[in-house]
Amino acid sequence: MASALLGTRIRENRKALGISQKNLARIAGVSASYLNLIEHNRRGIAGKTLNAIARALNADPAELSEGMNQALIDRVKTAAVRNTKIKTEHDRIEEFAARFPGFARLIARQSDQIDRRDEEFTILSDQLKHDPYFAEAMHLLLSNITTIRSTSDILATSSQMPAKTAQRFINNLAQEARKLSKTAEDIFDYFEPTSEQQVTSLDISPYESLLEKNRYYLNDLESDSVTIDQILVSLKLSADEYRATKKSLNSYKEMSENLPIQQFLVAAKNHNFDAIALAQYFNTDILSICFRLAHLPIKVEIPQFGLIQCDASGAVLYRKQLNSFSLPRYGGACPLWPVYRSLSQPLQPIRAMLDMPMGDRFHTISFAYPTEVAQIGMPALTEAIMLFTPDYAMLPKVAHGQTPQLDVGLQCTVCPRLACKARRAAYLLSNK
Amino acid sequence: MQKTITIIEDEPFIIEALTFLLQREGYLVKSVSDGALAVDFIIETRPNLVILDIMLPNVGGMKILEDIRATESISTLPVLMLTAKGQKKDRRAAEDAGASQFMTKPFENAALIKNVKEMLFS
Repeated sequence: MASALLGTRIRENRKALGISQKNLARIAGVSASYLNLIEHNRRGIAGKTLNAIARALNADPAELSEGMNQALIDRVKTAAVRNTKIKTEHDRIEEFAARFPGFARLIARQSDQIDRRDEEFTILSDQLKHDPYFAEAMHLLLSNITTIRSTSDILATSSQMPAKTAQRFINNLAQEARKLSKTAEDIFDYFEPTSEQQVTSLDISPYESLLEKNRYYLNDLESDSVTIDQILVSLKLSADEYRATKKSLNSYKEMSENLPIQQFLVAAKNHNFDAIALAQYFNTDILSICFRLAHLPIKVEIPQFGLIQCDASGAVLYRKQLNSFSLPRYGGACPLWPVYRSLSQPLQPIRAMLDMPMGDRFHTISFAYPTEVAQIGMPALTEAIMLFTPDYAMLPKVAHGQTPQLDVGLQCTVCPRLACKARRAAYLLSNK
Repeated sequence: MQKTITIIEDEPFIIEALTFLLQREGYLVKSVSDGALAVDFIIETRPNLVILDIMLPNVGGMKILEDIRATESISTLPVLMLTAKGQKKDRRAAEDAGASQFMTKPFENAALIKNVKEMLFS
């Protein structure tokens, strides 16, 4: 079909450029009658003649000869099926692409743009769920609304209320409405795309993106249903991204081979998902166990674990956040988190219960470890991890019942612990 | 005998609205807004029911609930948890920690009063 349409494509390209058949024949160095036969698909051409005509039409000879790139046709097909309400001529897409290559590229490009927008939208939605400022602002908003709703209901249903009491409630309503207005303005300002953090926060690595999509458990890779190379091929990666993603996937595979999921889950259930007990059982390091615990299938009987890994400066190297515990990517986290304390006590696991300002509680294990053999005169390179779970009730009682409790936050800007001595930035939600 | 209800909540206007509503129903109402003082306040005042906000400054509602359940003299106290985060996980965590009832903000006044009456009756 494609090669049979070579003449048609030449004719459509020529007409699109407004060149007469006679002129094209002259420029390409063929007779007008021969070009006429070619354009009506009654003569095949190749080589020198095809190149000459393609050059005269400012077109790609391969595209003229072989028809539109199959990938382009597939993209147009994707665009066609995106909207099921509009009936398109599926069986004539190739012909359409051949006759109107410019429009075909336009449709394909717009379809690709929609895909990219969808992907960005998904990422932004996900970030919104994890944004501590937004979570706190929503909490404030709901508190404002609760007060207004409850107070206005009281005023509406209490006809015998003393005037003084009614006036007090009206004043409360007015104050709360002002607070609500300020909270709404703050949220609006926050989403003005001016801060560098908002721009850079989109910078999620392809590996993290892959993990997020698979909810941090790569079942196909663990079960050998796909290879690392197959995964890499399915991702559109630059050379640098390819190398980084391959390295990360190799580490994941190594983890799944050292601690196979079925065997691990049996042991984990027997040890109530306690990382330290599991490290002893498997005779391995706590680091490996923590990473394995942070990459388990999502099931009711399995506690959810999040994880943050940082270097000695506190810079985040890897993170798996939970809906209930967001982790800032670019510094600015609460300095009271035990993961930072662990950096001064390498190889000494630290247990702590974290009490967050919004009432959430997490059991944590933090652990710092050297990343290479120390050398004389050089500071030891150290990294640290913190494994955390809100499902601490599923852990052994000793792991959370007799564990030091720390009142911490996420970031100073959203932390209402105003008297905290570790505060280094103002609480932005001053409405509270 | 008049029943006593303690509100543990940090939003003053919510405390005022709840206090009015509950007093209108004939209850004696006391309140505390600092989570760190909550358990001692409850031990001291011995209410018949506690309305507890999950998000409080200093000590969160979940921790207070755990402390209530772990303190023998008040361990069986009915506790109605309030939260602005109407997520399932919060409800589950509150129930696991021993909450008797759970309501999300914003709530209907009538629904809250109905829950309080049912909890005190049972």
